[in-house]
Amino acid sequence: MKFKCILNGWAPNVKAQAEELNSFMNSFLGNGANPASTILFYANHEDRHSLPGLVPTECAEFVRIDRCQPETILEALQRIEDKEDTSLYLFPAGFAGAELAVRWAFRQKGSSLVQVEQVAPREGCLIAKKKAYADHVLAAFRLTRQPFCISPANGSVDRLPIAARDNLQIIEHDLTGLREDAFARDSQRIPAEQAKDLGAGKFLVVGGRGLGSKEHVKQLKDVAAAMGAEFGISRPVALNAWGPMQWLIGVSGTIARPDVCIAAGVSGAAAFYAGIEKSKIIIAINSDPQARIIKAADVAIIDDYKTVMDELLKILKPIKPAI
Amino acid sequence: MKILVCFKAAPNVEMLLEEDWVINNELQVDTSFVRNDLGSYEESALEMALKLSDASDDLGIPLELNALTVDGSGATPILKTLSALRFATVVRIQPRNNLLFQPTAVASIISQYIRQHALQDVVLLGRQSDIGENAKTPLLAAEMLGWPCITRATRIEPADKKHLIVTHQVDDGYAREKVRMPCVISVGDAPCTYLRKPTLRDRLDYGKKDIEVLTMEDFQLPAETEMLTGLEILHHERAGVVIEGKSPAEKAKVLYEEHLKPVLSGKEVKR
Repeated sequence: MKFKCILNGWAPNVKAQAEELNSFMNSFLGNGANPASTILFYANHEDRHSLPGLVPTECAEFVRIDRCQPETILEALQRIEDKEDTSLYLFPAGFAGAELAVRWAFRQKGSSLVQVEQVAPREGCLIAKKKAYADHVLAAFRLTRQPFCISPANGSVDRLPIAARDNLQIIEHDLTGLREDAFARDSQRIPAEQAKDLGAGKFLVVGGRGLGSKEHVKQLKDVAAAMGAEFGISRPVALNAWGPMQWLIGVSGTIARPDVCIAAGVSGAAAFYAGIEKSKIIIAINSDPQARIIKAADVAIIDDYKTVMDELLKILKPIKPAI
Repeated sequence: MKILVCFKAAPNVEMLLEEDWVINNELQVDTSFVRNDLGSYEESALEMALKLSDASDDLGIPLELNALTVDGSGATPILKTLSALRFATVVRIQPRNNLLFQPTAVASIISQYIRQHALQDVVLLGRQSDIGENAKTPLLAAEMLGWPCITRATRIEPADKKHLIVTHQVDDGYAREKVRMPCVISVGDAPCTYLRKPTLRDRLDYGKKDIEVLTMEDFQLPAETEMLTGLEILHHERAGVVIEGKSPAEKAKVLYEEHLKPVLSGKEVKR
């Protein structure tokens, strides 16, 4: 099954996206068993030298375009993908990846699935699995029409570093000047508040709806910092604007893999739990003994989160955990 | 400016107990006994449309709000609420069968409705439903209409009669862009967009308006190319050891001594 990886060189996390696709390929498509290549979009000449280090396959096409809108990337793909001999396109898990997978499949009269956890090629079709029912269920789909366009779920695989290649075969395209009449104009970028890589922290404290206010969220963040822990929030907290969206833990935010995760005032909805389930140890602190998070944790304390965290800080602060 | 918000109410599955998670012969989980709620993205889409209407009024830009759902009669209470919130038309299309995992069919119905029944300038949808989690309907609707699509919108403001200013999430933060209509906008994680409640007066004056119901006889359905073949319940249980103690201080001490200390001292943790 011939397949291609599509990467967006603009994305600040393009290296992480490339490593995730590398891991996804190795896990489900066999390392080198299927002919594969990468199409990598980029904008600036000065970025060109770093592109080979992002390619997880033996062959690559580097495509220079001047706008990072999905509309432009789709049009560029249409220009360079004219042979119709690719069976599977792998798009990254980021925002643009899922959008491009669906729209490219439609234009190519293929089939698509996004937020995919696993794939398995079969004769004439592709079996792909993804979560459904608010992440309580794993659903299997059979994709029947090629090309199959897939975007993995955020955090579905660990990152796999890309090996350096001396014999990388590269084709260059310059498609700057496409889509002069773009539908979106006067674009202003508003960078997100610089957040640490929550997914990489070893000690994580997460606050949920039970915190009750923006002020309590700030207080718990300060306690987490004094303990030497990273801090995240659940979706209800973010939607109430008690904390910024880039602190979000869960399927639409960060999938964390800490050694220790303390979930304070969190109910434990499955979509949130997906963001902490890779923790080695989960500790729930909640005043409600019926909260779903209690059974989903390794250890639980049924009590007021604030008092328990203050007491825990008295023990941890002098120790200054090294993790 | 005509704005169509497409939404679907879905069962609140967080209310299900562990033993309720059973897959039936039709490859579904029985959720018929659970209350239907608006999904969070759909609720945001409806409230963002109302905020856009308020701001357009202030600028003297005429705006008409419309709502569409492809759903059974269980959606009627929400449609009546939208009437009371002064949506000009509220339409329900009765599907023949469950379209939970058929986003191509839903997008096709939406695009046919717009083309054949009520042309719009903007279609606003939640980026995905909480149950189906397909995350495809807005994108497919845009492709079928041949319109551009802005994804993960968090704020929509009026610019003039032909343009909107849309703030949306991108990989490195947010982008704020002036967008030409017609277009499809899919709504992302937008803070402070809980759907407002209509006043009692508006419920009495507008909430009793008839809901337009269409049947599938008016629509052609495309073949799905992604077929659901199986469902498997995911279990999230761990040991769930509850620490007992006379006070929060005692519980915190047990937590540290018995569970945290081995990890903090660098000993391997086994689950």
